[in-house]
Amino acid sequence: MIETIAPVVNAALQNVAPAIPPSAAAALAVGLAALGSGYAERGIGAAAVGAVAEDDSMFGRGLILTVLPETLVILALVVVFVV
Amino acid sequence: MSPYGTAGGGRSSNYEYVIARVRSRRASLFDTDDYRKLVRMGTSEIARFMEETEYETEMNALGARYSGSDLIEYALNRNLAKHFDDLLRWAEGALYSYIARYLRKFDAWNSKTVIRGIYSGAESSEIEDDLIRAGEFGEKRIDTLVTAGSIEEVVESLDDTIFGESLAEAYEVYEAEEVLVPLENAIDRAFYETLLDGLPSNPERDSPTGLYVQFLQAEVDFRNLRNALRLARSGAETDPTEYYIRGGKLFDEQSLGQLTANFDGLVAAVRDSRYGDDLDAALSALEDAQNLVEFERALDTALLEYADKLSTRYPLSVCPVLSFVLAKEQEVDNIRAIARGREAGLGPDEIEQELVIL
Repeated sequence: MIETIAPVVNAALQNVAPAIPPSAAAALAVGLAALGSGYAERGIGAAAVGAVAEDDSMFGRGLILTVLPETLVILALVVVFVV
Repeated sequence: MSPYGTAGGGRSSNYEYVIARVRSRRASLFDTDDYRKLVRMGTSEIARFMEETEYETEMNALGARYSGSDLIEYALNRNLAKHFDDLLRWAEGALYSYIARYLRKFDAWNSKTVIRGIYSGAESSEIEDDLIRAGEFGEKRIDTLVTAGSIEEVVESLDDTIFGESLAEAYEVYEAEEVLVPLENAIDRAFYETLLDGLPSNPERDSPTGLYVQFLQAEVDFRNLRNALRLARSGAETDPTEYYIRGGKLFDEQSLGQLTANFDGLVAAVRDSRYGDDLDAALSALEDAQNLVEFERALDTALLEYADKLSTRYPLSVCPVLSFVLAKEQEVDNIRAIARGREAGLGPDEIEQELVIL
């Protein structure tokens, strides 16, 4: 049984294009990175709003800390140019 | 699954938001310098000092009706209630139930105040002034409590709360003996026993819930210890197991009964327990001077330090909130002590002895 499968798999690997083409994989990487930073910003944003509610002068600092995880997406964007 | 756990209407807890606000408020509490200034002021100066801080709104609202240390006391109570109400307003999910569990302390306080007020025949407006509206009781329940004409009505209106069952039992004793002690004990006991109800008894030591449970156990332990020490010192004939609160780790019912008879044995037992390190200095002082006031102050300080330690060890948990709650309560107690002390003509050094400052 296994002997009969091996040549078939080999043939398939040589002839067929990959399931996820490079550009699609790059798009996926950016998307997942965005999801991750979104999750990170959720917590930071909540804390920043709390801090601003107590003390107005925290607005600038809160804003910077909130968008800090956005760097993840920018780094992931590099992948698009590499591919 | 969310790492924060869900409970209470299925909403997840919003630790980040609550803790950011709580930390900010914790930082703006009075510090050692403020206290040093306060102990040298008279009551009216303290009132003026408070008008320029945190307590401005309350001082202005109550300034026309009261004066002197009454004004300070009512303003402190109102401010405390405002802060703790805020906590309950912000918190969601499991965090809410953790906070509410502890803040029911004020429900217990309010119930006791109402019962005492009715017993002593105070006007309902006087009772209302003395309430601290920080617990879980809503406006409506407080109104029913305040307007209740007899202790029986109070007991009935608390029927559906955690105090209901034990109060109903105690009411029979009260009717027979005409003293308030059984009712007050019933309320305190109901509070402390529901404190640990429904929480896992042996959770992972370093999880937030574990730390929370440890903290509540410490609170129960210290309460038992305080009762035991008072009984041991006063040499009263009361059976200590009658006041025993379940849930702590330090004593069980039997060991408490035996140790209370023997003061030195009690101190030795505490020294060997897991609180031994934190309370070491205080225990030595207790052995030397036999001074309970000092020791109780050391217990308060130890609890406060313990809560602070927990809050830095696990920032995203209920611990920072608890540490704020304790610190705020302590601040209110301290300022009250200063105001009353100055009114009674105590010197700055004597008052400073009474304060619990980290």
